[in-house]
Amino acid sequence: MKGQGKSAKISIRDIALIGVMTAVIVVCKEILSFLPNIELVSFWIILFTLFFRWRVLFVVPVFVLIEGCLYGMEPWWIMYLYAWPLLALISYLNRKQESVWFWSILSAFFGLFFGLLCAIPYAVAGAVNNGIRSGLYAGFTWWVAGIRFDIIHCIGNFVVMLVLYHPVRRTFERIAHELNPRPRCLQKEAEKK
Amino acid sequence: METKKINKKIMIGAAALIVIIAAFLIIFNVFREKPVQGSKSITLEVLNQEQQTSEYQVQTDAEFLRQAMEEAKGFTFDGEEEDYGFTLYTINGETHNWNEDGSYWAVYVNGDYGQYGIDSQPVEDGDIFRFEYTPPYTE
Repeated sequence: MKGQGKSAKISIRDIALIGVMTAVIVVCKEILSFLPNIELVSFWIILFTLFFRWRVLFVVPVFVLIEGCLYGMEPWWIMYLYAWPLLALISYLNRKQESVWFWSILSAFFGLFFGLLCAIPYAVAGAVNNGIRSGLYAGFTWWVAGIRFDIIHCIGNFVVMLVLYHPVRRTFERIAHELNPRPRCLQKEAEKK
Repeated sequence: METKKINKKIMIGAAALIVIIAAFLIIFNVFREKPVQGSKSITLEVLNQEQQTSEYQVQTDAEFLRQAMEEAKGFTFDGEEEDYGFTLYTINGETHNWNEDGSYWAVYVNGDYGQYGIDSQPVEDGDIFRFEYTPPYTE
């Protein structure tokens, strides 16, 4: 049946994997939360996108929801709704890249522009309450005040990717291979049955 | 040939990253709030949970709000040094901790919601700083 074939695409192993990926992101974030703007979330989202592809479509929303439940759905949380999916999208579009330097630089760029992305909800809220000029001022001052932290974020992301990319990639290649061991033609036959 | 192309792109990316970091640092130094020196007359207002207002006039040379608050007679405050600076929890013996019950002391600067912590909020002559009890958010 068509419907059965579609639902069979998400296996129990996929669901477990999605759960583990989400847990890894949340736990790493909490462990490093005492260090301002040093995080592994960007690293994991990039690597998970590269190796586990569509499963990230479930991982990122669940992670964002957990963060909202843990810390409250305040203005910063709105930024989570688009910043992390944006990183996953950019990673997916560059999925053919294998250079550690490429990913380190991309991750660094994301860290550097994180504050600017965060400022958008504040600018919008300010504009809604007091007009566009006031909104732009609120967003701009908020961003400028955090530039030092954005630079720390940038350097942190760069170093994390540079150090962890190769060892984690080797492990993920093995896992990804185990997840899809069957050739495509055999998979299609199984779906027909 | 292909590797050379990729290396060139990475080099351009790295150079762009450094240039943008430098640009951000310039923007930070040009546009960040700068402290004003000299004798200043400021007002501290407190609106507590019982909706009672108290006012404190302060003559100060403080560059930042925290020092001016320390100089204000009859005004007491306490908090904790955290990763992003000093976090205000207690004013005049009344404690509101966002982490515990969602309530907090909001700081308004001349009527606008403050964008900085008390450690980095500059003080200018004639400023009015209002500390307002903000109840937990409810739907």
